[in-house]
Amino acid sequence: MGLFILRRLGVMILTALCLTFIVFWLTNLGPNLEKLAKTQGNARMSDEAVVSWLENRGYSQPLPVKYGQWLGVLPGYVIEGTDRETRARCATPGQPIEEASSFCGILQGDWGFSTVFKDEVSSIVATRLGLTGKLMLAVMLVMVPGALIIGVLAGMREGSRTDRSLSTVSIITTATPEYVSGVILIAALATKAFIEWDTIPFKGTATAAMDDANFENFFLPVITIALYGMGYIARMTRASMTEVMTAQYIRTARLKGVSFPKIVLKHALRNALIAPFTVIMLQFPWLLNGVVIVETLFNYKGFGWVLVQAAGNNDIELLLGVSIVSVFVVLITQLISDIGYVFLNPRIRIS
Amino acid sequence: MTQNTKSMHPAAVMYAAEEKAGKLSRREFMARATSLGLTATAAYGLLGIAAPAKADGHAQQGGTLRMQMEVRALKDPRTYDWTQIAYYTNGWLEYLVEYNNDGSFAPMLLESWEVNDDATQYTLNVRPGVKWNDGSDFTAEDVARNIEGWCDKNVEGNSMAGRFAVLIDEATGKAVEGSIEVVDATTVKLNLPASDISLIAGMADYPAAITPADFDPENMVGNPVGTGPYKPESLEVGVKGVLVRNEDHDWWGYAAGKGAYLDRVEFIDYGTDPSAWVAAAAADEVDMFYETVGDFVDVVESIGWERSEIASAATIVIRPNQLAEVDGVMPYADKRVRQAIAMAVDNAVCLELGYANRGEPARNQHVGPMHPAWADVPGLPYDPAKALELLTEAGMADFEMEITSIDDDWRKNTTDAVAAQLRDAGFNVKRTIIPGSTFWNDWTKYPFSSTNWNHRPLDTQILGLAYRSGEAWNEAGFANAEFDALLAEANAIADADARREVMAKLQTIMSDEGVTIQPYWRSLYRHAKPGLVGWDMHIAYLPQVYKMAFAA
Repeated sequence: MGLFILRRLGVMILTALCLTFIVFWLTNLGPNLEKLAKTQGNARMSDEAVVSWLENRGYSQPLPVKYGQWLGVLPGYVIEGTDRETRARCATPGQPIEEASSFCGILQGDWGFSTVFKDEVSSIVATRLGLTGKLMLAVMLVMVPGALIIGVLAGMREGSRTDRSLSTVSIITTATPEYVSGVILIAALATKAFIEWDTIPFKGTATAAMDDANFENFFLPVITIALYGMGYIARMTRASMTEVMTAQYIRTARLKGVSFPKIVLKHALRNALIAPFTVIMLQFPWLLNGVVIVETLFNYKGFGWVLVQAAGNNDIELLLGVSIVSVFVVLITQLISDIGYVFLNPRIRIS
Repeated sequence: MTQNTKSMHPAAVMYAAEEKAGKLSRREFMARATSLGLTATAAYGLLGIAAPAKADGHAQQGGTLRMQMEVRALKDPRTYDWTQIAYYTNGWLEYLVEYNNDGSFAPMLLESWEVNDDATQYTLNVRPGVKWNDGSDFTAEDVARNIEGWCDKNVEGNSMAGRFAVLIDEATGKAVEGSIEVVDATTVKLNLPASDISLIAGMADYPAAITPADFDPENMVGNPVGTGPYKPESLEVGVKGVLVRNEDHDWWGYAAGKGAYLDRVEFIDYGTDPSAWVAAAAADEVDMFYETVGDFVDVVESIGWERSEIASAATIVIRPNQLAEVDGVMPYADKRVRQAIAMAVDNAVCLELGYANRGEPARNQHVGPMHPAWADVPGLPYDPAKALELLTEAGMADFEMEITSIDDDWRKNTTDAVAAQLRDAGFNVKRTIIPGSTFWNDWTKYPFSSTNWNHRPLDTQILGLAYRSGEAWNEAGFANAEFDALLAEANAIADADARREVMAKLQTIMSDEGVTIQPYWRSLYRHAKPGLVGWDMHIAYLPQVYKMAFAA
């Protein structure tokens, strides 16, 4: 088990290295750097100004050197610019150049500085990850129990009226993308477009929920994501439940005269949950990056929004930070789901 | 305001006579007279009327205002490319001069100024008693240092260098030796090598924020030294920026009765989609918009918000770039092609389809009736048949024109309206729409694209910024020696009537050369919930946060 986790960690670091190098290479292509200079300098800047802007800030160094500096295996640049101002990679704003350390990279725990947000990458990622975490937690609390209940109810008697109607509902919610269901929910529940409310029950924006989440401003984004994921998990649960319900040992139990509720809860449920468990764990990476649409729609500034801003503005170090976090979230949830199998199904042995 | 009017500029008296004779609108009179150094009160006095009462009496002290606005990263004020940045920094970084909706220039950190007859010498009198919020005095040295900074062409993206181009020595890229002269602690003299009437207007523009000595643009929030009444409490780019009253600072404006009523101003970013702003307004999460655009004017009024409207010289141009090469040829270098484009487009249709008739049609000259020296020069006629003839004559009938625009509401629609009319006239047109995040990377280089331009107070300003040969913002690739010479001539004539003759020639060149399609002048809108005062939409988007208040 220990060896297994170690090996997984190794894979994780290797993946993160490869991915960040690819992101680094792409964001450091010429046109992207030019764009960076123009968003940071002045949108209406001349070509000569772009070149000197890039040179003064160390962007014109060779790619491996820059990557090494970001990793922290090479010393950060200290450049005296054409405007006679000296800039050092490792100097934080307001700090004299002499006091700056010579190495500042991921290995030193320095995630770099975001050019768009003018802030430490680590603090931005932490804040935004926290906000998306809040959203994810709320979604999970609504989605997982809801989906399991629907799936189990539908799957315990295959072909019954309950099964057919619940299956239809879950197919519809899964087939409706968030940008459709979100807009419909806003129109129906947060405006007077369809119903003449005395007071509108929900808010069509979740910006205030970042500081102070309550039912009124947080319900719509949560339910929009939850509905989409719920149908999918419910379908998986139902499939796995129907399979278990036709198994030999269930028939034996029924022949022995065990009551139906007892069969479902005590004998079928645990085995039926193995497949949905993986699906639920797979929802974490999806939630992390898949909330982009909902965060934009409800103007909730979480991790998905940061990803969009970083990519849209070619914010190199922020984008790298986001990539690292994404790699770790994906691989760690996989690891947890692998370990979780062992507890759900004692027949499985790891490695 | 206690300004010395003994040395009143002779032209001001002349203007007053013109206004009375009906040759000049009141707004034009105010713009001209105040840029010559008169106070607004004195200017109104020349007309024999009292200055209009301000809404100050109804303002309530205190309160928190929440304003929807894009919250952008701060940078060196000289390089500001978005007025939203200035809205936030205006809390502590103030301006020498303030430009107002009635077209007047009011003194802020300057107490007054005088301009000599041929606009080659400016005397700037610094307001006494102004203090930086670190306790030191604001002096003539500070003014001189800032003007020197504006004239530094070596700072990448410094757009103030364009506004103060007359003071810059081409060889060094810095201010001409001896042109900025500190006379005493409260007086600065600008000795211009050539006439320029636009310097006061330049000082009032949003990148002209006055910064302290040892100013560090990288650490503006961490070390907010300035002269203004507020200080930054927090700034999260793209999310929220908060200004709070600087309790430790005795702002000069309190004594001058300027206001700064609010205790706290929150700028909250709801992205670029106006429907999100309306959702925020409906949810009572904001009190006021930065700007309302297009059809959302009606939408937001349906939820009971109030409107503020101002007719401005803000506009859009859809211009071919004369230097652009497409497949080895320069399609728009030929005057006939450009004229054909202009003649195939009916500007009134662009206004109707692109901006829902919220403005006035224009004549492709980028100078309009809101400018002091605008001349009534006709534009090219709308004649699609003749246009196609010209295009065929130029041998470009089969050429596919690619028209690029940003992906947003009115700019996209107006460009679509141009493209549709060109197609109707028989041109071969392809439309390309680029998202806002990447559009500005190459905005001057697209062969044929649309750009929005803000209002400028004086008629010659935009021509100097966007159409003079070799200017950084010359997106039309226009280079015309006669035009440059006339523009230099116009820039030396402080008298608008005399200047109008030159302007007529400039405007004729703009039309005849088919430099650009400039279809209409926009009216600007802003909405706020009832119960606010001093929040009017500004004609040039200038930040005047100190005027805003809740009604008493």
